[in-house]
Amino acid sequence: LDVASYRERVRAMFYHAYEHYLESAFPYDELRPLTCDGQDTWGSFSLTLIDALDTLLILGNVSEFQRVVNVLQEGVDFDIDVNASVFETNIRVVGGLLSAHLLSRKAGVEVEAGWPCSGPLLRMAEEAARKLLPAFQTPTGMPYGTVNLLHGVNPGETPVTCTAGIGTFIVEFATLSHLTGDPVFEDVARKALKALWKNRSDIGLVGNHIDVITAKWVAQDAGIGAGVDSYFEYLVKGAILLQDKELMSMFLEYNKAIKNYTKFDDWYLWVQMYKGTVSMPVFQSLEAYWPGLQSLIGDVDNAMRTFLNYYTVWKQFGGLPEFYNIPQGYTVDKREGYPLRPELIESAMYLYRATRDPTLLELGRDAVESIEKISKVDCGFATIKDLRDHRLDNRMESFFLAETIKYLYLLFDPDNFIHNDGSDFDVVITPYGECVLNAGGYIFNTEAHPIDPAALHCCRKRKEEQWEVEDLMREFYSLKKTRKFALKRPSDRGEAESAKDSEDAEKAGEKRNSKKSSHSLLSCPSQSFNSKLAVLGQVFLDNT
Amino acid sequence: SCSRAKDVTMPAKLPVNFFPTTSPVIDLFRGQLDSAEQLRQDSEIVLYFFYAPWCGQSIAAREEIQHVASRLSDQVLFVAINCWWNQGKCRKQKHFFYFPVIHLYHRSFGPIEYKGPMSAVYIEKFVRRVMTPLLYISSRSKLLDFLSNYEPGVLGYFEFNASPQPPGYLTFFTSALHSLKKDYLGTVRFGVITDRRVAEELSLERSGTVYLHRHANTSLIYPKDIMNFTAENICKWALENREMLIRWLRPHGGKSLLLNNELKKGPALLIFIPYNPLAEIHPLLDEITKVALEYHKCNKSQAPEPDLQHLGDTESPAFDSSVTDAHLKLSETFSITKYPCCNTVVLPQWHSISRTHNVCELCVNQTLGVKPNKVHVPHCNFLEIEAALDSFYLQEHTFFQVISNTIECSNFLSFYSPFSYYTACCRTVNRHFLSFISSEKTIFQTPKVAFSSHGKKDNTQFSIPHIEDRNCFIPDLNISSMNITGLSCRTNKTLNLYLLDSNLFWIYAERLGASRSAHLKEFAAIVDMKEEVHYVLDQNQSLVGPTLENFIKNFSVLYSPLKRHLVDDPSVHFQEQHVITEVTTHTFHETVFVSQKNVLLLYYSQWCGFCASLNHIFIQLARLLPPDNFTVARIDVTRNDLPWEFMTDRLPTILFFPHQRKEHSVKFPEDFSINLPNLLKFILHHSSLSSSERCTKECRHTESVLQQGHISHLEREIQKLRSEISALHQAHGQLEAQLSEARREEQRLQQQKHTLEKQHKTLQLHSEQLQATYDQKNQELLEMAEKLQELADASENLLKENALLRILVASREGKLQSRDETKEPLQSEQTLPEDNTSPSTATATAEEERIDNIGTIETEHSSGNRTQ
Repeated sequence: LDVASYRERVRAMFYHAYEHYLESAFPYDELRPLTCDGQDTWGSFSLTLIDALDTLLILGNVSEFQRVVNVLQEGVDFDIDVNASVFETNIRVVGGLLSAHLLSRKAGVEVEAGWPCSGPLLRMAEEAARKLLPAFQTPTGMPYGTVNLLHGVNPGETPVTCTAGIGTFIVEFATLSHLTGDPVFEDVARKALKALWKNRSDIGLVGNHIDVITAKWVAQDAGIGAGVDSYFEYLVKGAILLQDKELMSMFLEYNKAIKNYTKFDDWYLWVQMYKGTVSMPVFQSLEAYWPGLQSLIGDVDNAMRTFLNYYTVWKQFGGLPEFYNIPQGYTVDKREGYPLRPELIESAMYLYRATRDPTLLELGRDAVESIEKISKVDCGFATIKDLRDHRLDNRMESFFLAETIKYLYLLFDPDNFIHNDGSDFDVVITPYGECVLNAGGYIFNTEAHPIDPAALHCCRKRKEEQWEVEDLMREFYSLKKTRKFALKRPSDRGEAESAKDSEDAEKAGEKRNSKKSSHSLLSCPSQSFNSKLAVLGQVFLDNT
Repeated sequence: SCSRAKDVTMPAKLPVNFFPTTSPVIDLFRGQLDSAEQLRQDSEIVLYFFYAPWCGQSIAAREEIQHVASRLSDQVLFVAINCWWNQGKCRKQKHFFYFPVIHLYHRSFGPIEYKGPMSAVYIEKFVRRVMTPLLYISSRSKLLDFLSNYEPGVLGYFEFNASPQPPGYLTFFTSALHSLKKDYLGTVRFGVITDRRVAEELSLERSGTVYLHRHANTSLIYPKDIMNFTAENICKWALENREMLIRWLRPHGGKSLLLNNELKKGPALLIFIPYNPLAEIHPLLDEITKVALEYHKCNKSQAPEPDLQHLGDTESPAFDSSVTDAHLKLSETFSITKYPCCNTVVLPQWHSISRTHNVCELCVNQTLGVKPNKVHVPHCNFLEIEAALDSFYLQEHTFFQVISNTIECSNFLSFYSPFSYYTACCRTVNRHFLSFISSEKTIFQTPKVAFSSHGKKDNTQFSIPHIEDRNCFIPDLNISSMNITGLSCRTNKTLNLYLLDSNLFWIYAERLGASRSAHLKEFAAIVDMKEEVHYVLDQNQSLVGPTLENFIKNFSVLYSPLKRHLVDDPSVHFQEQHVITEVTTHTFHETVFVSQKNVLLLYYSQWCGFCASLNHIFIQLARLLPPDNFTVARIDVTRNDLPWEFMTDRLPTILFFPHQRKEHSVKFPEDFSINLPNLLKFILHHSSLSSSERCTKECRHTESVLQQGHISHLEREIQKLRSEISALHQAHGQLEAQLSEARREEQRLQQQKHTLEKQHKTLQLHSEQLQATYDQKNQELLEMAEKLQELADASENLLKENALLRILVASREGKLQSRDETKEPLQSEQTLPEDNTSPSTATATAEEERIDNIGTIETEHSSGNRTQ
């Protein structure tokens, strides 16, 4: 497989779609590829442009990145009387602006002195996020699904929100809080996550939709796909980004229940959340993110097995139908479309990092060939309305440029800066001290906008830690060790921050001991011996 | 505006040619399955290539198919069918879960699906097999060739003299095709003998006999009396009874448990060689085959059949004679040399109704301290096996109970020789399987003495030299007292042998540590899944028979000289400028143990989210610690194996190796969060810098060194602070600028406010004025209305007066008439019109006024709106 040539084909696909968007659709949210015009879909923010911004940088187009940053600063206004989805606005707009902000220095944008703790794009992200905060004013802390950007929550707004619409904020909101120093964002996001955790069923599952006023489950189908997906994703990514054991322990509990009740033969089905009985034996296109998530926490074997199942569906249709009936081996009525979703490709990218299995590149090849053959039209790439006959729909979702193309390109570009393993980094002097940035480990939000985890350690909270480090360094160079900095005991110097740190750590330790797990929650298992040979479709059964 | 295009959809594009029109492949890109079937009538061999135009695999296979087609187009018809196009017949009739699908037809027989690798050579080979499923064995040398192959072979003997087609021949031919359907790798080869003399070599006498050749076990003859002579049965029989001394592994690329299942059987020797299925000769493969045959050659009591051309000097391969031969020849040497022998024994049925048999593979499992003969390896000692059988039958009852499909082995001592023991591996099989094995059951006698099981260890194992040196492989097997011949039955670490085509599956070799730079893609490794180890044949040795034999032997001995192979990441190059030292398998010892520094080692992996997000902390740490005393290192344990004692089961793991006490490494406690202060505390706690208490000269020196370090550290800090200050200055400047900007803005706003206020005032004034005029107008209107009223009143009065006047006039007239009748009427007509005109003009003017009034109210309203 010629990786370089496929990489160039993906690049050409990007520009075909991007240029037609600029030409025919901008400043609307999305391009309509069959009629060559634009339409507003999720608001009126030139969504495709915001979403595609960091893809430009990943493709190496610095100058266009800079131009778009200026365009957005001039043109985007959130003071508009528009009813917007809280979830979509967060992941696409806030997430897109945050990642563009954090990448802007790398893209050669002249940043202000306070960067990354301040900057025009960060201010825009904050402004957008503040527009969403009224939605969180509910008795449970779980947000409404829709908010009017000008007037807040509309009177008479439905209180029913999907689970993902409640639990998909921590990555963007915690980043915002860490960068701006305003804790309100992280607080509301955490509160919403905890409310969901509290309302899980006795067997440890969550349903699909919940009433945010009464906390009653409205849709009780439990699974890993539509309506729930990014909740689980953000528990893991939040845990990694914030080194947060609590989020991880929540995920691991869910993971256990999911394995127990929904997993059959490496497929994940839908079950009733209280009884655990199978309600829909379907695979949803949105579920294909799961193997990628598993690989992040080290469950590579299971990830690969599930991925190979999903890949067979792609081979059958040249795309993933929204719903696929597993026992029947065919699409489900009214759910035959494929809007060029990224999830399977996303998983392939993560798994390729872990295994370097050529099968994953083959999926990339198939995706490029299918999308080009089936959905390319004169004005862009059109959603596949029906995978059975490959009829096209007049839509190109913004995630096509933000995610699908990005993950495809990254799959074929193993040396991209996004894959940096820590051998490269930047040192940035900020008013809050020196920061090490861009050292890899980027966390993608659920719209594929990368967040640099190092940036979260850069602003505000840094000073206290710096003083402590300075004390420790002095100790380092003195001959007579006082040993007052012993790791085990909280330091007796009464320094609030360090004492709190150790206490936190000890508390966490106790919590774990009571649960009798023998290892840190924030770690991956190392790979087994047979993983050496687990490539080209070969899977191994557990030895247990 | 959106509704116009809301429901715009577009049907899929029309299908176009998938293959170039010049190609020898007929491309039915509209899925015309009916035409495909018509085309099939004309050709003996047809290949259907079902594709979907969007499918990457179909696109990749297209080139390969074209290549094959260009070579075989004169004999085979190649038809490609678009089986995706939803208007096409193919899509409507067939339902494929993947593409491409290749079907082959041999006249009416088919479809035979090709499931092998999508590579031209493999496809061509398969097509050729379909073209000629039977090999024609015309001479003795061809027979030897056929039998010497490592892949199982089925031979049919058919005499073509009498009738044009002897009975059963067609069935046999079909069964050959059938086997291609079942076993897509085509491992069972089918041959046909037409010459009586050739057939006699195998003691095949009756035409229509089908014979399955086996190397290590007894060859079989198809039991016509038990099973019906049908194509399917023959094929099934061959597949069930074939012997797999060495197997090709060809993962198909989809999800599969192939390696899992094979490797779980026990240790496996994987041999990677570049293989061209179309090549006439495979010298390397022949050599490997020879080793494999030797390795499995356990049973010498029967059928010293022609094995390889090289060993072809064995004469007259008929069993009974050879057994007697062996008997006569070897009975004398019995006391000197003992060679491993095996025999298959069928236990008598316990119940006559039982449909199963217990079958045991009985092996003489010993080599004694007596040196092996230099002469050509003799065949199995008849007495030996008889003795073994004796011992075995003595213990027969133990094996009767075994009813199991798995093979169970047990050892027991020989009563003839105190130095040897036997191994019996038994399992239960169906009855028909045994019909001939039982026919050659050896005689046995009632034994007198019996020793119970589980004999002694093979004492030759200690004398085996290490055979690793590349210049010293030993073609003369005498050096080792262990012989490769039949080793598989003697060792308790039996290897399964596998071949992989390195053109297709080199990635597995790389995973096991094959060097990426090697231009010769030959590699051998022993993988022991249970022990989680693998051994690699030194890649500097060329892969030839003797090296392979030594490799196997070294593995088989008790204290194996083979070392667990540690795979390392060749892509890592040591880079001095990196703040974090990247450690590999090779540099591990050097960096961690040999170096004179404290070493903090991070075990990580690139895919583990928890590791990658810590990168910045370790970079900070490495920049902070004095590089003269500390190394911050890390190792990617997914790509680098380490000795067992340094393995970890979780990632990330942080180990600290203090200088001078490297063996006392400490692990960063897992319940602490990994951040800079905690890491520093941890290092501080365990670092050896704190060791000295009393201050000597030396200590003073170290102190000064330390202080020097501290000073440089502080200098760095100052540097940092300076830059921080400058950053602050910059930020300050920026703020200042923003502030002044804001001030200016404020001023501007203030001004704007003033002007706005002024405007507001004037507007207010204006509105007041308007109000005043409005009031005034209103007033005027009222007055006007009043006047009108007055006028109306006046006119009414006038009317009344008029009426009164009329009455008056009338009364006067009456009076006058009474006085003067002739002059009066003329006068009264002249006065009346004058009185009527005045009131009508008054009403008209009043109406005009009202319309004017409404007009002014309306204009005032609109001006009021604007000011708001």
